[in-house]
Amino acid sequence: METGPPPNKSEESEKKKSPFRILAPVHSLLAGWTGLALWLLLLLLLALYPYTGVSSAALLVGSQIFVLVTLASNWNLIGGMTGYVDFGHAVFFGIGAYIMGILVTGSPLLISPEWGFWQALPASGVAAALFALLVGLPTLRLKGPYFSIAMLGTLVAMREIARVLRPITGGGVGFNLPPVLNRVGDYYLMLAVMGLVVSLIWWIQRSEFGQSLIAIREDEIGAEMRGINTTLHKIAAFMIAAFFTGIVGGFWAWQNTFIDPDIVFVEARTVEMVMMSMLGGLGTVWGPPLGAVVIYFLQDFLWGSLFGVHLLALGLLLVLIVLFMPEGILGTLGDRSSTSLGRLLSRVGRSK
Amino acid sequence: MTSDRQPLLQGHTVSKYFGGLAAVNNVDFAVYPGEIVGLIGPNGSGKTTLFDCLSRLQTIDSGEVSFKGRDVTRARPYQVARMGLARTFQSVRVYRKMTVLRNMLISHQWRDTSLLRMLRPSPASTARRAHQLLDFLQIGHLAGEEAGHLSGGQRRLLEIGMALMPDPDILLLDEATSGVNPTLIETIKDRIRTLNAQGKTFLLIEHNINFIADLCSRVYVLNHGEKLAEGTPQEILQNEAVIDAYFGA
Repeated sequence: METGPPPNKSEESEKKKSPFRILAPVHSLLAGWTGLALWLLLLLLLALYPYTGVSSAALLVGSQIFVLVTLASNWNLIGGMTGYVDFGHAVFFGIGAYIMGILVTGSPLLISPEWGFWQALPASGVAAALFALLVGLPTLRLKGPYFSIAMLGTLVAMREIARVLRPITGGGVGFNLPPVLNRVGDYYLMLAVMGLVVSLIWWIQRSEFGQSLIAIREDEIGAEMRGINTTLHKIAAFMIAAFFTGIVGGFWAWQNTFIDPDIVFVEARTVEMVMMSMLGGLGTVWGPPLGAVVIYFLQDFLWGSLFGVHLLALGLLLVLIVLFMPEGILGTLGDRSSTSLGRLLSRVGRSK
Repeated sequence: MTSDRQPLLQGHTVSKYFGGLAAVNNVDFAVYPGEIVGLIGPNGSGKTTLFDCLSRLQTIDSGEVSFKGRDVTRARPYQVARMGLARTFQSVRVYRKMTVLRNMLISHQWRDTSLLRMLRPSPASTARRAHQLLDFLQIGHLAGEEAGHLSGGQRRLLEIGMALMPDPDILLLDEATSGVNPTLIETIKDRIRTLNAQGKTFLLIEHNINFIADLCSRVYVLNHGEKLAEGTPQEILQNEAVIDAYFGA
């Protein structure tokens, strides 16, 4: 009688089971339709929020969080799912902001008549996506750190171009946009954009397109050799991520009513996107939104309690995330964690 | 004889240089439909480079490659893959963070590249095919495992499964038996025979001479990037030049 293999097998599978039994089904549920249904429910609740008599400051906080969630999810599409760590993604934010500024004021270029906000907003996205196509064709051929550095260079270069092209961009002093205060409108607009982007990422991850992106991240040569047109996939992902980042940039410029090269083409914004994605869980659908919310409130808390050294604290946090939680919150708590913290949590869970 | 038929995969005076080194030098090569052809040679003789040239992972410096009668010298790897050429790698390439099943599914997706198809999850029929193939390769019980957790031999089988998913016309297997235990080698051998009987063509790089002798109808021998000999396994094993170069006699 063969008695060896069956007990071995069950023992092995027993060993691999997460102590967070509750989390394993939660993970698989979130990836499926249940995840989307919960997300839509959350969006519905958020849509009702302004009717609870909240202050306009609370609505501003809401729209700022929605901006961060959208940025993190966008970055995650190219940085997390496709594995191309884009250190210059804020360049698309800046381009969106400038296109919005130039189109609605018309002043630097003397475009007459000026565009309305609703015409300029999609134009911000389209301009960013076209720029992604232009930049992506050469840079997406680069691998690993070479791509990251090339994108960082693109960001710095665009900042300088914005500074130099004074007749169009207003140069280093920037320019003002028409001040239109509409907190409720801003809230709903960004809620809609965030809802759309996160739902889109959910959809992409389930689709063969999204699975191909993950295959490219895991092994690009293998993916190409198995019939995936890697160039087309990377460019498409890059353009989608750039389009919505441009939209957010355009919205941000409109809401902020002032832009200059140093506030829209800024490395810190990319770092923020990276940090939010990593904290939540790179390459997952729900990780980056979770990371964005955590980072927002953490920044708020650090700014309030450690003013003066809050940036230092945030920097340290990034180091700690990379060291101990490279898989992010969702990854570390997940079923397949391979980090020491994840294993430690597993051991703690098992000993209970 | 094979010569009156159209070759499935053909290389004509293929050369590939790395700096001053001729990794593949003026090699003529043909694989006919339904064959199992072996490609042997000492380490560094240019076998894998020739594989890379044939599967278009490497650009070639001179010569031509044709597949199914079409010139693919300038084609990209995904294009020859879509024409029906599949390969495995000397150091196994699987998507480590994906489950075995997902690895299989994603290796099939290009069979339909319409936008509508790309925007949807893999259909149930693809999953059925994946499960059948995994069972055929005796790794069906591992479908839910992450590929990175598999043993070396299991990963080799998975990679062969991934190559089989799109139902290719020819499979190029690069050292399919290296690092694999003898029982699994027999499994691989048996599966290659079964698939060949179903009409699949194979090109095998191997160091395991018994494996080649058991399976192949023809063998090419490379040495220093050049074709040293070509013939049946029996002819090759008795060829003085081959014995001298390869077996170090």
